[in-house]
Amino acid sequence: MSNSVISVISRFLEEYTTSTPNKLKVVDAYLLYILLTGAFQFLYCLLVGTFPFNSFLSGFISCVGSFILAVCLRIQINPQNKGEFLTVSPERAFADFLFAHTVLHLVVVNFIG
Amino acid sequence: LLLVGSLVSLVVLVLALGAHALTPSHHLTPSDLVRLQDVLSQPYTDLKAAYLSIVGQSKLGLSVAGSNEACDFIKSNLDPSSVESLFYAAEASQTIASCCMMNTNFKQTPNKKNKQLPLNEDSTMSQIHQAVSALSFLGLPLASQEVVSALKARISKEDNVLAITLALQTASHLSQQAELGEILEEIEDLAARLDDLGGVYLQFEEGLEVTALFVSAAYALSDHVGVEPPLKEDQVIQLLNSVFSKKSWDSLSEAFSVASAAAALADNRFHKPVIVSAVGPATVSHSQPLLQLQVMDVLCQSLSSANVLVETATSAATKATILSQTPFTQRDGIFQLNFMASQPASGYYQFSVAISGDSRLVGNHIELKVKVSTKVSINNMDLSVVDKDQSIGTKTTRVEYPNKAKSSFIADSHQNFAMSFQLVDESTGVELTPHQTFVRLHNQKTGQEVVFVAEPDSKNLYKFELDTAERKAEFDSISGTYALYLMVGDATLENPVLWNMADIVLKFPDEEAPSAIQSKNLYVPKPEIQHLFREPERRPPTVLSNTFTAMVLSPFLLLLLLWFKLGANVSNFSLSPSSVLFHVGHAAMLGLMYVYWTQLNMFQTLKYLAIIGSLTFLAGNRMLAQKAVKRYCASLYVQLALQ
Repeated sequence: MSNSVISVISRFLEEYTTSTPNKLKVVDAYLLYILLTGAFQFLYCLLVGTFPFNSFLSGFISCVGSFILAVCLRIQINPQNKGEFLTVSPERAFADFLFAHTVLHLVVVNFIG
Repeated sequence: LLLVGSLVSLVVLVLALGAHALTPSHHLTPSDLVRLQDVLSQPYTDLKAAYLSIVGQSKLGLSVAGSNEACDFIKSNLDPSSVESLFYAAEASQTIASCCMMNTNFKQTPNKKNKQLPLNEDSTMSQIHQAVSALSFLGLPLASQEVVSALKARISKEDNVLAITLALQTASHLSQQAELGEILEEIEDLAARLDDLGGVYLQFEEGLEVTALFVSAAYALSDHVGVEPPLKEDQVIQLLNSVFSKKSWDSLSEAFSVASAAAALADNRFHKPVIVSAVGPATVSHSQPLLQLQVMDVLCQSLSSANVLVETATSAATKATILSQTPFTQRDGIFQLNFMASQPASGYYQFSVAISGDSRLVGNHIELKVKVSTKVSINNMDLSVVDKDQSIGTKTTRVEYPNKAKSSFIADSHQNFAMSFQLVDESTGVELTPHQTFVRLHNQKTGQEVVFVAEPDSKNLYKFELDTAERKAEFDSISGTYALYLMVGDATLENPVLWNMADIVLKFPDEEAPSAIQSKNLYVPKPEIQHLFREPERRPPTVLSNTFTAMVLSPFLLLLLLWFKLGANVSNFSLSPSSVLFHVGHAAMLGLMYVYWTQLNMFQTLKYLAIIGSLTFLAGNRMLAQKAVKRYCASLYVQLALQ
């Protein structure tokens, strides 16, 4: 059983490194970074306590929001999905990504206190 | 705790119950009238003050002192070219009997006066009023119909209360043949504008002076035309309450307006408010059996022609009717009734009094609370010491008021001390149950006193028993000689009683050392309360916070590492101006976020964000468009190459 899991994972990793374009790998690295940041914040909250709660919330939601927006960007610039996003060019996706981030950061900084 | 038996008497005039109309709650007493006269008779320095003073005093029915000097003052201060001055002079001189204005300057120009009548569209209501009044008081002819139309035109322009009041006053000088009907209707309109305050007062929001002027103007016009003013009885009383609610007046004109209103209410053809007050407190007793009432008009003049009748007099306690349809007799302007002749028991009685004799009377049904007081006498005061187990016979001592028992009584824990007595009305012998019957024991050495209540049984016999053992807590178990007092008091008693009857020696078991009783001082500073500020939340240690901060920032380094490993396209950085501007703008926006966190508020941030954001957007748009073009060209190139 574990054997098949390991083989699936190694196959997946191999496919990933070969067939994903570089652009997407860049975005994936960014996604990993956001994930780790959010995880560390949550860990702190579990260990030390929720004071100040508003700061924790804003930081965590910033991570979650950024993750979601990056995932959106990744979906939109993936050339394999081009058929579903005929009206949205990669540049347009990137511009949307930046605008949404501006709004997100405004709200986060407001709430961080 | 000694109560005065004959307390200050109760309210004489109370608001009526049920179907009875309102009665005045404020009126001018003789001392108020004297004060009003003093205000009005102050020395004056100008013509207006002279007018207010002279005419005001005449309204109160007083003759002006120094009438010759007053007349000379008026004549010397008169300015014949000013209508206002003429008005003051004319009315003031008219009230002084010996003063005649006609032999001064304007007899020469009566026609000029008429032509000078400022009846154009621009003249204010007060100018019209002064001109018309001046002509009227000087006895000169008036064009009444012209004045009426001028007044009507002016009322529509100047809609305020004072202007319409002046119009009413002006109309009262005009000929009765003129059409004053519309002006008369203004009284009703103005009355609708009055504010009802608590059902007691009726006044204009402009204040007391305007209300008083309205009263005098309304009655002046109504008397002149012969039509009853459309004011209900209650409204008249409420107006009266408002006008006379203030007993000290700020200005001469305010005092003048009150005097005018008083004169109007005291003597007009339609409404005459009546003021009823008892002479002294409304209390009768055997020594003072007469209930005396003063019936006056607003200017404190006695209405000697009135008939005063008690419609009903009922006991407040038993609700039995004592008197019905009994008239008061009049003597020297005071109406009196011998109430004690009906032999009422002591207590309070509700009188319903009606004044008649003049069809104009207003507020002539009065409710009065009368107190009948009496003297109490204490009978059959028996003091005894009773053994608890009743084995030894009781020793009863009778004490007569106001003597003290010759020997003192001794009671220890095996004995009770008992007292019994009766309280009766001195003159009729009827048993009484006053509100306060207390037994007081006073320890002269320590100053301690203990008070008990003596209660009557079903036969109105008062009994009191002191169980030494049971009550030792109240005495703090302090044995010794106590002086025994009886205290009797009630509002209807003329002779409250504080009677030292005897001395008692009380012996308590388990005696403690007697400590001097200090009176409890309630007015010492209390212990200070230290304010506790809100404790700041407990924070984790700085080391821990710093560790975690480093931990949270560490993935960024990982990201840079990964990007480097992936060979992110830093070399493809085009240095076109739009690209540079875009990156600078973007960096500026992130910097703005930091500044927002530390210093700014949302509004300022949005302002800066709008500026930077729009620049960044434009630059970014261009940059991305260029990139898109490059990509498209590249893909085209690839396609061409593949063909």
